[in-house]
Amino acid sequence: MATSSEIRPLSSAEDDSLKRELREDTIFKRIFLSPAVTILLLLSIFPLLWSLGVSFTNFQRNAAQQAAQAAGTAEPSGFLGLGFDLTLENYQRVFTDEHLHTTMRNTLLYVVVGVAVQYSLGLGLAALLNQKFFGQTFFRLVFILPMMITPVAAAYLGRMMFERAPPSALSHLTTTVGRLFGNPNLNIPWFTDPGLAPFTMVIIDSWQWIPFMILLLLAGMQSIPEEIYEAARVDGANSWNAFWGITFPILLPISLTAILIRGLELFKLVDIVRVTTGGGPGIATEPLVMYVFRTALDFGNFGYAAAISYILLILVVLFSTIFLGFSRRVQKQQLGVES
Amino acid sequence: MNKRSPFATFMLYATASLWAFVCLFPLYWLVTTSFKPPLAVSRVPTYFPYLAAQERPTPVVNNIFFTPTLDHWNFLFDEQRDITLRHLRNSVIAAVFSTIGATVIGAMAGYGLSRFRYYWNRMNWKNDNIAYWIISQRFLPPATIIVPFVMIYGALGWTDTHWGLILAYTSFNIPFAVWIMRDFFNSLPIDLEESARVDGATRWQTFFRIVLPLATPGLVTVALFSFVFSWNEYLFSLMLTSFDAITMPVYIAGQNNTRGVEWWYIAALTMVMIAPVMFIGLFLQRYIARGLVAGALKG
Repeated sequence: MATSSEIRPLSSAEDDSLKRELREDTIFKRIFLSPAVTILLLLSIFPLLWSLGVSFTNFQRNAAQQAAQAAGTAEPSGFLGLGFDLTLENYQRVFTDEHLHTTMRNTLLYVVVGVAVQYSLGLGLAALLNQKFFGQTFFRLVFILPMMITPVAAAYLGRMMFERAPPSALSHLTTTVGRLFGNPNLNIPWFTDPGLAPFTMVIIDSWQWIPFMILLLLAGMQSIPEEIYEAARVDGANSWNAFWGITFPILLPISLTAILIRGLELFKLVDIVRVTTGGGPGIATEPLVMYVFRTALDFGNFGYAAAISYILLILVVLFSTIFLGFSRRVQKQQLGVES
Repeated sequence: MNKRSPFATFMLYATASLWAFVCLFPLYWLVTTSFKPPLAVSRVPTYFPYLAAQERPTPVVNNIFFTPTLDHWNFLFDEQRDITLRHLRNSVIAAVFSTIGATVIGAMAGYGLSRFRYYWNRMNWKNDNIAYWIISQRFLPPATIIVPFVMIYGALGWTDTHWGLILAYTSFNIPFAVWIMRDFFNSLPIDLEESARVDGATRWQTFFRIVLPLATPGLVTVALFSFVFSWNEYLFSLMLTSFDAITMPVYIAGQNNTRGVEWWYIAALTMVMIAPVMFIGLFLQRYIARGLVAGALKG
């Protein structure tokens, strides 16, 4: 017995307690992770697959049926979209639907122009805040203020600024300038010109989200050690050269992250458009997301709405994949240059 | 040390002031609009309150000044009291309960992912894979899953209920909460837990008596962020509510097309809506950048 107890390092009592503990841990660790995983599977993955399924059906519901459903008096036909015909119609329609193509173009415009505007202004303003000057803390606080309000509120602020109907300060300014140049009726159609309106959306979104870029880039700039700049100064670089030669390359990884996140967020843009132009004039400002919910709620065509939402998903995945590939290459190049 | 030329200093302050003006002016306009008499909004733009109103009551409107009034606030919180408070309550209910849900569930999963080893042999997934899978849900465009939500909620009778919104918002906030809490637990030393275990505490006791109190800063951060995300959410509230459970953003956005645009009420309502999130935002200032990139940056 003595020898065997030497071979076996634990007494049977200890062994039991260890076993119990391990078993308890197995239960314990499952208890801890499962609520999150369950909820995500049920409310994220399941709807995602369901949406794919619905996108291959001709599931439609008119307003009356929808109201009946909402009131709970709908007859139990076609539960959850089952019992509807499978069809490829929705995806065939995708190729010919001009409305869809316009909304896709709008969404891409929001993403590309929005990201470009927000990044360049954010970078400049972050560089500004990175200087040492009196009142820096105050300006920092003021600069990030717009980010803290609800997007719907930002949209209303945009309307208050740009709309002509209740005369705004901006329209006041425009008419004053117009009067000076002999054109008292000068008016910039911020929301009513199909060519300009999408850019007004970008302006409003940028007003709110440039602070996001500022915050990230400023944090990045402040983590760069001062010695690097000292060394560059000794070598005779001016601050312009130092910015593009040192700050910008070091900030590249965080810049790419910030751009990716803002890009993904801009794909979701809908509240600003809904509050300001409602997608108009015509559909000149309507983003993809808005087309999804209009197709579902206004037209009751759930099958097609699901198909469009999958087009959106494909665009998002494409965007992230291309962007991640691009940023990996840029970063690799960067490393190559540095070493 | 400071070798900035006077011209550079001037440009610095000029640019900073200009942008500060761009940031602040719309907010100033919002606040003043809520105190303007309707004529001072709809006829000409007015800029400053004329405070000595009692002495010179005649010009309600001129080009620069307006006579401030509390009428709109009184209207919202007196005549329309029930309607205003109902929507405010809906927002609070949806945001508070989904925050609690997301924080609790997120803290549990975060702790699990930080302290135990998971292995799913079907996919050869370990802790990191699970964590990335969870955070990837955050970047899924909500519009992709909105159609099934509308259908399923309709079939189950959850449309326009507080429960429905709370559930949806909780699921949105979980990825973020898990990620932040996992980070947080990773940065907590494990020694305290181990010594508690040596002293004979069970896993549960350790978690509730040792770990959770230590994690309070992380929990608060997650809770405040979840609250803000839920409070600001628009698309799901728009699609899943129609009357009883409408939240503030959808209510205010809907002011668009009833009785024309009454800017003074909208301004006051908007101020009510943004007050809490703005307050939280100022409080959270330091963490905002980190919170918003959660999952995209390693570490």
